[in-house]
Amino acid sequence: MDSANASERERVATHVLNLSNADQTEVLVTSGDSALMRFTHEMSNQNVAAADVGVSVRAILHGRTGVAQTNALDERSLRDVVERAAAMARLAPEDPLQPELPRGGPARAPDGSYDSETAGADAAARARLCDAIFREAESAGYWSAGFAATSASGLTVANTSGALASFDGSDASVNVKMNAADSTGFGEAYSTSLRAIDAVAVGKTAVEKARASAAPRAVEPGSWTVILDPAAFGELFTYLADHFSAQAFDEGSSFCSGGLGRSYFAQTVTVRDDYAHPLAPGLPFDFEGQPTQRLALVENGVVRDVVTDSYYAKKLDRANTGHALPAPNAYGPQARNLVVAGGSKSVEQLIEETPRGLLVTRFWYIRPVDRKRAIVTGMTRDGTFLIENGKLAGGVRNLRFNDSIVDLLGRCEFSREQVRTGSYNYSLVVPTAKFAEFNFTSVTDF
Amino acid sequence: MEFEALAARALDTATARGAEYADVRVEVARSERIEVRNGVVATLADGATTGFGVRALVDGAWGFAAGAELGDGGIDVTAARAVEIARASASVARSRIGRPPERAYVDTFATAMRRDPEDVPLGERVALLLEAERQLHGPAEIAVGRAWLDLWRTDKYFFSSIGSQIAQRIRQTGSGVAAMAIGDGDVQIRTYPGDVGLYQSGGWEIVEEARLLEGAPRIAQEAAELLRAPQCPSGTFDVILGSSQMSLQIHESCGHPAELDRVMGWEANFSGTSFLEIPLLSKLKYGSNLITIVVDNRLARGMATCGYDDEGTKSVASDIVRDGLLTGYEMSNDTARAIGRESNACVRAQGWESVPMIRMCNLSLLPGDVPFENLFDDVKDGIYMESNRSWSIDDRRLNFQFGCEAGWEIKNGKRGRLLKNPTYGGITPRFWNACDAVADERAWFAWGTPNCGKGEPMQTGRTTQAAAPARFRNVSVGVGYGG
Repeated sequence: MDSANASERERVATHVLNLSNADQTEVLVTSGDSALMRFTHEMSNQNVAAADVGVSVRAILHGRTGVAQTNALDERSLRDVVERAAAMARLAPEDPLQPELPRGGPARAPDGSYDSETAGADAAARARLCDAIFREAESAGYWSAGFAATSASGLTVANTSGALASFDGSDASVNVKMNAADSTGFGEAYSTSLRAIDAVAVGKTAVEKARASAAPRAVEPGSWTVILDPAAFGELFTYLADHFSAQAFDEGSSFCSGGLGRSYFAQTVTVRDDYAHPLAPGLPFDFEGQPTQRLALVENGVVRDVVTDSYYAKKLDRANTGHALPAPNAYGPQARNLVVAGGSKSVEQLIEETPRGLLVTRFWYIRPVDRKRAIVTGMTRDGTFLIENGKLAGGVRNLRFNDSIVDLLGRCEFSREQVRTGSYNYSLVVPTAKFAEFNFTSVTDF
Repeated sequence: MEFEALAARALDTATARGAEYADVRVEVARSERIEVRNGVVATLADGATTGFGVRALVDGAWGFAAGAELGDGGIDVTAARAVEIARASASVARSRIGRPPERAYVDTFATAMRRDPEDVPLGERVALLLEAERQLHGPAEIAVGRAWLDLWRTDKYFFSSIGSQIAQRIRQTGSGVAAMAIGDGDVQIRTYPGDVGLYQSGGWEIVEEARLLEGAPRIAQEAAELLRAPQCPSGTFDVILGSSQMSLQIHESCGHPAELDRVMGWEANFSGTSFLEIPLLSKLKYGSNLITIVVDNRLARGMATCGYDDEGTKSVASDIVRDGLLTGYEMSNDTARAIGRESNACVRAQGWESVPMIRMCNLSLLPGDVPFENLFDDVKDGIYMESNRSWSIDDRRLNFQFGCEAGWEIKNGKRGRLLKNPTYGGITPRFWNACDAVADERAWFAWGTPNCGKGEPMQTGRTTQAAAPARFRNVSVGVGYGG
């Protein structure tokens, strides 16, 4: 199947709907072609591409739900997947809260979410991006490790309530870690268009980070003023995303359970879920075909909303915000396009106003320590710097932190610049963040 | 053998286009996931996927392409794409490490299984989970109960241009329950068995041996008690880790750093590198003399147990740490050759769509000689911890911090009151050198992990770390909670 052929996906989806005798049926048809060239020491260690299609059928019979999936599109396989979903549904207990499948509605993808040149990029195009990075590494005398990736993905959702929505997206990304004798540096770039990816600039950023953090010294753990580059702040903030799910909110495990309208953060904090942000990939509906709302989750420190799907909209008597994950889903609705609003200062200004602190390029292995309080732990990596008298003053050894993301956002300010960060398979848009106190608990050996 | 014609066409296409070596892996996979959440079947899913991946070697560089179209056109396009990608790799490579494997095998393998899960009616599978989940709701504090079941059935067919033809039928099974207690602004979770459930290779007998109905009431009670339990203290204590937490400890601080691709910088930008550098082989005192860690992909019930890995290398057993000394790595053909060794068959792909890469397979700590109950005997002031809930380690696998679901005070050799939020941390080799007792084989258990992440694109691996409880002296405890 042509990955950009929405009409072909819609034909399959409609046909599968017609095969089903369930009370309600939902069909997801996906198509994807993704490729990634991974490299280390200026050679490719994994250079891969995969093309696939998928059909997922959710059958609902008297409030009983079953889901079956296949990646074969022949008539026999399509009939089989419909029958398997119905067989599952017949054996499931009835769920009295099972809602009607949503009727969908207009959902237009933002301009630029699909670029045919990116979707059709070949192996040579990805190799050219890698080669540009190799050259930066070689001129610095370092070795590099990273990837260049391109992808095309298509999604069609159709159901018996009348929803029919299709989206085609493209994406491109590079990331690199530059490795020097006793230091490392990192750079990354993401866009829906391959042409917007400047591999040379990414390579130079990573080289400069590695150069500036050479000969790292150990600093004492404890409470520090800390500036987080977008890659670091984005990874940290990801661990708060699930707290804005109606499921966590309802169960009581979110920091903001029962607290809509309450101020949890500093007034500088405004967070939206916005698929139409110019830097976001742009999927305008969810996996139930419901148009996704552009939501203000936090306004000036006050938690205003959580994201819902049809199930939690009914259960909590709230609007369906269009944030369903693909069925079956035991995780509840999820924010997919988090955007943290920028502040009023430049990144340089945030640094200049710091008498003594640390600048963190990137985190690694962040994990929850305390769910309710959103305490997480993690390590710095790939360029951690001392700030003295408003200037970067050399690299420091990597540190482990333990802190509550909720508490940290109570004492923060942001740069006005925002960038897209994440990885080749998820994204969020964030500024550089500065925290008045950030709790480091130990140092590592490098 | 099934798919022989498909494979022959793909291999012919790849070699005709210039591949000096190629292999094809066809996979037919079925998966079933059932999850009950608060009395509702939140997930009842049956997945089927079939496809194939082609590896091609051109001028010392690899390319991989995968597709699901099994007709002649799809085979030709995918095989040609693998060669095109390999050529692109070669065009910019500053060095070359790829070489064809040297041995070919014609063989079959099938997971040992006492009862095929397909012989258990779906209604019976659902009913078991509904009842197990219901058993979690005794204490009023339980806000969320979960019970789940995973069944994986994978048929793999491997063919190579040097003559390998290997058919394998892999069966993996897992189930578990978890109770989330909420109260007084606190959330506490207990999971059973272990920290993700019981996952092993085999059939329905794995679910029966998990004894979900017996374990559920106990862990629900513990979750509720944890809300009222005192905070685990911060400071330096002797620590005893239960076997499932030992499994996690091995996984994170030995299994990953001993992956030779990571050691060689192949994961540097994502999963990181390793402190187990090649010059340290046969020199580094990784742990105390009690520590022997082996790879054995023939281990009974191991999640990674199979006849051959996804490069077509026959499963073997080999040492990683012997009597505390670093002696080996988890290896692929190319990485093993780079250090003058032979692969120990540690290469796996998540599915047909994924490139084979070094994965932690069955990597286990051999049991010691101390009865479990005697581990406590000469601990004056310590903490016993069980079931992982948080894990973090730096990108060279040195500085770690792990948290457990439950802890118990140890005073003068006796296990005492329940403690909540126990955490501990350290530097990997210092920690393993502080181990002064490992429990004997009666407490040794093959814990499987179904969701180990590595690589870009990310792949999920299924692995086993068998372990017995062990004792460590003078450990930093309570980090993250004021320590």
